[in-house]
Amino acid sequence: MPVISLQNLKKSYALGDNTVHALRGVSLDIEEGEFVAITGPSGSGKSTMMHILGCLDRPTEGHYLLGGEDVSNLSRDALADIRNRQIGFVFQGFNLLPRTTAVENVEVPLLYSRPLLPAAERRQRALEALDSLGLSQRADHHPSQLSGGQQQRVAIARALVNKPSLILADEPTGNLDTKTSIEVMRLLQNLRESLGITIVLITHEPEIAAYGTRIIAVRDGEIVSDVANTPTPMEHVEEDQEQSEPALAAANA
Amino acid sequence: MFATMPVNFRLALRSLNRNRMRTLLTMLGIIIGVAAVLTMVALGTGARGSVEGEITSAGTNLVFVKAGNYTRGGESVGIVAGRGAATSLVPADAEAIVEQVDGVLAVSPGVAVRTFLTSGEARAFARVQGIAPAYAEMYSWNISPGRMFSNSDTSDAILGRALADQLFGAGSDPVGQVLSIRNHSFTVIGVTDGQADDHADVVFVPWATLQGVLGLGHIESITLAAEKAGEASRIQAEITNLLRLRHGISDGSAETQDGYLAAQSSVGGIPDDFTVETQAAQALTRGLYTPAAAFALANLPKLDEVTLDEMSDTLDKASNTMTALLASIAGVSLVVGGIGIMNIMLVSVTERTREIGLRMAAGARSADVALQFLVEAITLSLLGGLIGLVTGILCAQAIGWSLGWPAEVPLAAMALAIGIAGAVGLLFGSYPARRASLLDPIDALRTE
Ligand SMILES: Nc1ncnc2c1ncn2[C@@H]1O[C@H](COP(=O)(O)OP(=O)(O)OP(=O)(O)O)[C@@H](O)[C@H]1O
Ligand SMILES: [Mg+2]
Repeated sequence: MPVISLQNLKKSYALGDNTVHALRGVSLDIEEGEFVAITGPSGSGKSTMMHILGCLDRPTEGHYLLGGEDVSNLSRDALADIRNRQIGFVFQGFNLLPRTTAVENVEVPLLYSRPLLPAAERRQRALEALDSLGLSQRADHHPSQLSGGQQQRVAIARALVNKPSLILADEPTGNLDTKTSIEVMRLLQNLRESLGITIVLITHEPEIAAYGTRIIAVRDGEIVSDVANTPTPMEHVEEDQEQSEPALAAANA
Repeated sequence: MFATMPVNFRLALRSLNRNRMRTLLTMLGIIIGVAAVLTMVALGTGARGSVEGEITSAGTNLVFVKAGNYTRGGESVGIVAGRGAATSLVPADAEAIVEQVDGVLAVSPGVAVRTFLTSGEARAFARVQGIAPAYAEMYSWNISPGRMFSNSDTSDAILGRALADQLFGAGSDPVGQVLSIRNHSFTVIGVTDGQADDHADVVFVPWATLQGVLGLGHIESITLAAEKAGEASRIQAEITNLLRLRHGISDGSAETQDGYLAAQSSVGGIPDDFTVETQAAQALTRGLYTPAAAFALANLPKLDEVTLDEMSDTLDKASNTMTALLASIAGVSLVVGGIGIMNIMLVSVTERTREIGLRMAAGARSADVALQFLVEAITLSLLGGLIGLVTGILCAQAIGWSLGWPAEVPLAAMALAIGIAGAVGLLFGSYPARRASLLDPIDALRTE
């Protein structure tokens, strides 16, 4: 059974007299443990799709089965509970709470779990998540005291803390330089391989999409191509990194 | 939902602490409102307490019957003995009053003498007053050290504080000392703090005992307490009739005579051999004087007709005016303060839209978000309430001190003030909290 099944999914927005068709009938199955990269030009409907996949929004038409359950028409609170238990988000802008320590940021999803874990246990789980991403030294740092890559790793720790089955990342490398982008992508690859978490990632960049096991291209609210991919291997990453660094330094100068 | 309370409280404190100046300015309305409520209650209670204190120390709702009849008139005060010698008032009269006049709470027959008293080396010339045990309650005595006597025919004595100090040294405990009065030995069993001006340098003994010591068959006065202040006048009239009957003074048609006690001084030309006075008249002629009483008296046209009821009525009116004034200040401040809280919470919701979106994405339900902001609003208003509480108590002390009123802040008033502050936070925080909870997570996340 696929983890995610979209059946003729449509989403349209009424804008005055016009109707914007952001998704025009998307059908898609994603199996457990897949690393799906979604690409497409700006305005093609990638984020709209992600919002529906993330239970942040409901489709206008069609069905969305998450783990076999139709969640297309659930109530706000029911969707909130699904997001809490099953989905971890990673955003382009990190979306960490300012003036709040890394570990407290990671604890946020745990505050909304039912039943609520005791404070000590919440702290323990958050520290473990940070530790698994090599950030145990940074637990008490505020986001402003962390580099972009570290911030994104804190955000990933937050996405992981509730042990979700699905991670949704909307341009997670959009604000990062090439080197850090590669780090983050390797981290996601690692999560998929070690924990078997399903990952859906949106990106503009073909190099980033190349880390996926499957690449889907979207245009004008429709899927235009859907191909399996051999993910970029680690050695290749190292080479790439070596090549890109001088170019990056030149660009920054 | 309640499990997340500590977390929400911590979040609220942190958020409020981040904008300290803003927090303080927002709380100002609540601070002033709560301070006004407390000042109002404190001064109101204090003023009432002060007047009640005076009235109680003068004796509450008392009526005095005295043997003899004195007529006073015009500028000069002439004293004329009434019909018969002043020996016609007897203990049986006191019993008759208790039995036949409705609304009498207690009576105390009285005899008195000014004489020398000795105790070992100590010696003084003082007034010795014979009273019944009920006298202590009529005047709300606190007896410390010691206790009141419980019979009218024992050889116990109660000393006024000033007399005790004079005989045995300031602040002394004279309980157990023996006083010799007219060759009779009395044992001191207590010291009264009686505030009435003529209680401090007096020794009180059981009236029947003193009667025996003095070899008297009659008594000189009867002090009575009415059940209700408003009935003092009626009781006065009924006692007058009763005693006239008992003393064989005819109740013919009146040929009244001008003068202070005209109404009761004589009937049909035959003068009474007693006088009945209400406490109010006595208190007023003695000059019960404080700013509060002066205010009350200044508002009453006929001083000698005032009853205690009227006096406390007038005071109530005065303090009601002030209460109304402070209450409107408090009301307006609390509403303004509440609107301030609502405003700042709306600002806070706008500023933290992204945070709200993030919390929603992480699984916060609408109610979770609402609760977070509601707790913040209530924390804000309770904090304001606490500061207002302290300010109010200080204000009340300052005003009370400058007016010479005691300012008491009852615990219930403090609880009420804090409760009002919390309610304001709840009321005015609900709308911003609801707005936060209804945000669309996607829009919220997109906000810059
Ligand atoms: N709330 C909305 N109201 C109206 N139109 C919307 C709304 N959200 C998205 N759209 C429209 O839907 C279409 C798809 O938008 P979406 O954000 O999914 O694109 P995208 O592929 O994520 O683009 P980008 O790569 O720039 O992020 C766009 O034309 C956009 O203008
Ligand atoms: Mg997008």
